[in-house]
Amino acid sequence: MPLKFFIFPLIFLLCFKSIQAQNCNLKISGIIKDLHDSSPIFGAVVRINGSDILTQTSEDGLYFFNQICPGKLIFVVEHSNCNSVQREVILSENTTLNFTLEHHINELEEIIISDNTLKSLKGSAKESRLNSDQINKYSSQGLADALNTLAGVSTLKTGNSVAKPMIHGMYGSRVGIVANGIRLQDQEWGADHAPTIDLNSFENIQLVKGASALKYGGDTPGGIIVLSPSKLILKDSLFGQTIINASENGRGGSISTKIMKTTSDGYYVSSQFSGKQFGDLLAPEYILSNTGVKQMNISLKLGRSKILSGWEVNYSRFQNEIGILRGAHIGNIQDLLRALKTDVPLRIDPFTYLINSPKQEGVHQNFHFTYFNQTSNKVKWQLDYNYQANTRKEFDIRRGIPASTPAIDLKLQTHNFLVNLKWKTKFSMDYEWGVNGILQDNYSNPNTGVKRLIPDYLRYQMGSYFLGAYSPSNSFSWDWGIRLDQNTWDVQKFYNVSDWEERDYAVLFPDFDVQQFGNKLLVNPKLNFLTLATQTGISIILGEQFSASLTYVLSQRSPNASELFSDGLHHSLATLEYGSLSLEKEISNKILLNFSKNKGRFKGTLEPYVSKISNYIFIGPTGIEQTIRGAFPVWQYDTTNASFWGVDAGVDYTFSEQFTFDINASYTYAQDLINREPLISIPPFNSSQILKYTSPKKKFDLELVNHFVSFQNRFPEMNFTVNTLQDGLIIEELVDISTPPSAYQSIDFNFSLYFNLIKQSTSSISFIVNNITQTKYRDYLNRMRFYADDIGRNFQLQFIFSY
Amino acid sequence: MKFILNIQYKTLYVLLSLIIISCSKEDPEPINEEELITTVQLTFKAPGITDQIVRWQEGSNNSDAISLAANTQYEVGIIFLDESDPSDIEDITEEVKEEADEHQVFYEFSQLNIGLEQSSSDTLDSNQNPVYINSLWNTSEVGSGTVRVYLIHEPVTKSSSTRDGFAGETDVAVDFLITIE
Repeated sequence: MPLKFFIFPLIFLLCFKSIQAQNCNLKISGIIKDLHDSSPIFGAVVRINGSDILTQTSEDGLYFFNQICPGKLIFVVEHSNCNSVQREVILSENTTLNFTLEHHINELEEIIISDNTLKSLKGSAKESRLNSDQINKYSSQGLADALNTLAGVSTLKTGNSVAKPMIHGMYGSRVGIVANGIRLQDQEWGADHAPTIDLNSFENIQLVKGASALKYGGDTPGGIIVLSPSKLILKDSLFGQTIINASENGRGGSISTKIMKTTSDGYYVSSQFSGKQFGDLLAPEYILSNTGVKQMNISLKLGRSKILSGWEVNYSRFQNEIGILRGAHIGNIQDLLRALKTDVPLRIDPFTYLINSPKQEGVHQNFHFTYFNQTSNKVKWQLDYNYQANTRKEFDIRRGIPASTPAIDLKLQTHNFLVNLKWKTKFSMDYEWGVNGILQDNYSNPNTGVKRLIPDYLRYQMGSYFLGAYSPSNSFSWDWGIRLDQNTWDVQKFYNVSDWEERDYAVLFPDFDVQQFGNKLLVNPKLNFLTLATQTGISIILGEQFSASLTYVLSQRSPNASELFSDGLHHSLATLEYGSLSLEKEISNKILLNFSKNKGRFKGTLEPYVSKISNYIFIGPTGIEQTIRGAFPVWQYDTTNASFWGVDAGVDYTFSEQFTFDINASYTYAQDLINREPLISIPPFNSSQILKYTSPKKKFDLELVNHFVSFQNRFPEMNFTVNTLQDGLIIEELVDISTPPSAYQSIDFNFSLYFNLIKQSTSSISFIVNNITQTKYRDYLNRMRFYADDIGRNFQLQFIFSY
Repeated sequence: MKFILNIQYKTLYVLLSLIIISCSKEDPEPINEEELITTVQLTFKAPGITDQIVRWQEGSNNSDAISLAANTQYEVGIIFLDESDPSDIEDITEEVKEEADEHQVFYEFSQLNIGLEQSSSDTLDSNQNPVYINSLWNTSEVGSGTVRVYLIHEPVTKSSSTRDGFAGETDVAVDFLITIE
């Protein structure tokens, strides 16, 4: 290389340096993260090339320099398990410099193309996350319970064990769950279907509000929950963890154990098992009969990761059996009225571990194969194939039929193909392009002896996305994405002749094949939906402490199986629910803002959002149908226009190294613009406050948590009347299913003791008390609120052994 | 690498065969709805009076009216039918009798003074409680009103004088108009 190329910058640098020499007081700080899962890297060395200035990152991955002279500097970040990274920077003011490191294998020295695109896409729509410590705490509970600790996330429940995460007042098909990079397909459309996934097999959970993770789909206006497994350490090692929980309430517990073996040439194998069993749970004053739960999961993983290529085969199986409160099984609205009128469930049996009807049984199997290859240091491609088989059985209390015959017996199989290409250009631009194909097959077993709730269908989906991210400096980034999906349904459904005619389907859909069987029609609806999603966002860092981001998301969602085809009696509310073939796609426009103060004693985030949804699909009462069990309210899926806005906020104050105080709060407003009334099942204002004491040297910590949930004063009126006979007279009585329960408050306590069973691995024993004061409450978002109080106090012991 | 390619080919083969299997979807079978009750039929018998039969049938939305004579004892029998397939009518009453412990028939009267009594021809459950599939109705003064007929599944108690007292789930709840002349 000609000498002048060296000399010129050198002279320039010297000049620059001499001019600014008197001002050597710049502060440089930042965070070093793992490229794969964004976890902070502890003990990385950050040094300035050509000088002896160096520092090491803290446990949070943070580093800090002060008294740095302005000018052109080369930063080098090194870590024993990772490739070093260099970056040239011209400094003129205090700067934040963040780096990502890739774990490496000794024999390969190429630097991997960074995962920036995806990360910054998530970065602009502010993400929240749960780390493995937080996940472990909820080891014996479910995904929704763990996520509930984040501002903006609520839980839609059916009893205590069936819990669905709700983001910004949306749930089900409006919230995506992504595990190992693939959307979970588990009949998420049902309000009483909990995600069939085991929390314990993941170590990192990210919550992306809005739908800005277009790689995983563009149809989730609520948000996406991304679950990632533990990161790999590419050296010879064997490690594991066992968590044991014992709970007083429900007299049950759980055990979860995982073990992973890695080798220095990139092979890894891991296995995980977890199981839990609880008997009937207790409300403060009585037993919640038939609320036991059993669950068993295993997962196995084998793979090889080299820097330039890698593959993985992954299998997991999830199985559960959940009892539904016996007192909540009703036959008609008069039964519902009777349940509403009493404070105590109509049926309370002695405590038992047995789970009787009504109950749910689910099995979810997941097979995943992935292969990636980096063809140059600018291009990386990845191939994924995923197969999911989800079976769901619901057992009702029935007459003349063995208890082992389910009333609902569905098998949903999904094949998912994904090809993803990532490349980097000059000008700090990263791109990602991919094609996603989905084939889904639903089979509804006819041996139930009950009309199919969801019909047999085949659904084909083909989608493609193109994403880009531009990050010219550490303090600014811009990202954008576009995704197009084609959804095709091929359905075979029986309709009652009378229903088919009453809804005018024969006129609206003259092309559908129809075959008549007595008073039933077998119809073959073929439906097509083309959906477009786009998003763009910017995120900026303002000075040392503040950051802000703005995201706009357009998402379109095609109606789900339940919205299109539901057909029958819903036992928990004694309603007849009908889908509609005439539904069109739902179109959501959402803007999210985030302001954060990330440093100092006082930290905080404020996240307002606003969205407008046209063709918002909802279910509402439309009339009364006379049946042999009396009059039933008929609920029909329909569309309206809706607007949502809300604020999620978090404040974190550090009194001293020992004491911290956190407050999280969120508020959601949702309005039906056509019917001019509030939307149903929107979380009321809620807040949690956490006071935490950490002993010096982190030997133990104490935590006191207060939850407050206010009364939801915005609710639509969905009441109806029923004629009852009282003292020989027919009386019309109001069945109030609309008025939400009162506000409540509950307090949790947590004490954890930390110790090292073996070097570098922290084990712990925790003593946890939930609902200390035995607060008697009912929650608006729990569908069992009509029948019983929520669960009372629970003492829990938790052991976590890491080895 | 060869090993990996091998795996890929094999997986691809498995995938393709899976797709082919799942694509050839057969027509679904019609479901034989098993627990369905579509019809409630009451038979009134009294000495010297012609038997009277009234029906409530799903879909028809109106029931027959019952007309009784004052100061008379009627032997009332109830049957439950599944008539969803006219060519294969099923008598559900047999199932109710078989599961007598889990079932209770109950009559609630409005604006009428009718005395309900156990009939000697009734089905009894294992605790000798009457299920009221056959019952005796004693009419007194002239009037008109309504009877609500219940079939209760898994009641909490088998002896109650109100519907609320039985708890359990309602399998049948239909109204008939009654005139007593």
